[in-house]
Amino acid sequence: MEQFFILVLVGLTSAGAYVLGLSVLGLSRRGIRKAVGKMLECFGISLVFFVINLATGVIAILLARAAMRGFVSLYMATDVTLPVLSLLQGLTFQWWRDLSGS
Amino acid sequence: MSDSSFDTMQGRNRMGWTRICRLFGLAAVVIFFATAFTPLPNLLSRWLGTPARLNPAEAIVVLGAGVQPDGVLGDTSLRRALHGMVLHRKGLASLLLFSGPGRGEGPAEAEVRAELARTLGISPEVILTESEAGTTREEAVNSGALLQARGIRRILLVTDSHHMVRAQRLFQHADFEVLPAPTDELSSRISDPEGRLQLMRRVLNELLARLYYRVAGYL
Repeated sequence: MEQFFILVLVGLTSAGAYVLGLSVLGLSRRGIRKAVGKMLECFGISLVFFVINLATGVIAILLARAAMRGFVSLYMATDVTLPVLSLLQGLTFQWWRDLSGS
Repeated sequence: MSDSSFDTMQGRNRMGWTRICRLFGLAAVVIFFATAFTPLPNLLSRWLGTPARLNPAEAIVVLGAGVQPDGVLGDTSLRRALHGMVLHRKGLASLLLFSGPGRGEGPAEAEVRAELARTLGISPEVILTESEAGTTREEAVNSGALLQARGIRRILLVTDSHHMVRAQRLFQHADFEVLPAPTDELSSRISDPEGRLQLMRRVLNELLARLYYRVAGYL
């Protein structure tokens, strides 16, 4: 049960935000579908950035290994910060596209 | 091409791109939830892992896992080193070989582990170190040469259970009979979301490494 604690917690705050958005902020009910679509778009473009970053990182490390005598670990390309930075890239790129109207 | 048809084409491209992004996004969300909140990483971990086969051997080979420039061993490195020492204490092999290079100007991982073993009462005469190899393949080559010079053919290999398959094959290629003695930092029974994400990261790291070793022809 404890493994689902976070899911229940986020589910409850999401439901609270939904109610608050409708009743206090006057947001449209149909807008939530568009918002979920936008979130998926941002997540999707972030995934694309992640794959590109990972592939580029692996290639760069292999080239560095070939060019240098010293050891460079492949695991450098799989650092835990990579998905977070890719998410930031994805969000920024998506917002740039939207604000540019392209 | 007229302005209106150009605009229509641009609009279609935008819709296509948006749809692809949403599909990728949906896939990423599904993968995230499946990883954090289902036993998928646990199943993959068990599938990738190697069970232990603890029998007497001529030497225990403890593979490297990383050391900080100031000589502090990483958790995985320490866990492997302790497992090797325990196997030695149980009398499963008389020789104990620690592998692992240093980082920058810092001490070699193998030397830090050897020092720890001596401090814990293991005789210096039974400890060997190999501190040049940076990859699993180099560890198999360098450690293999050290052991074969002593006529050793049967080894207990200490590393993570995910990493074991790759390491075991490389040592077998170097003509050793390998008995796996895996040690894991993360249990494959872990059930909290953060632990499962970490487990999946390790699984994916190992799959990436295996792919690289296969493409490079090392396996």
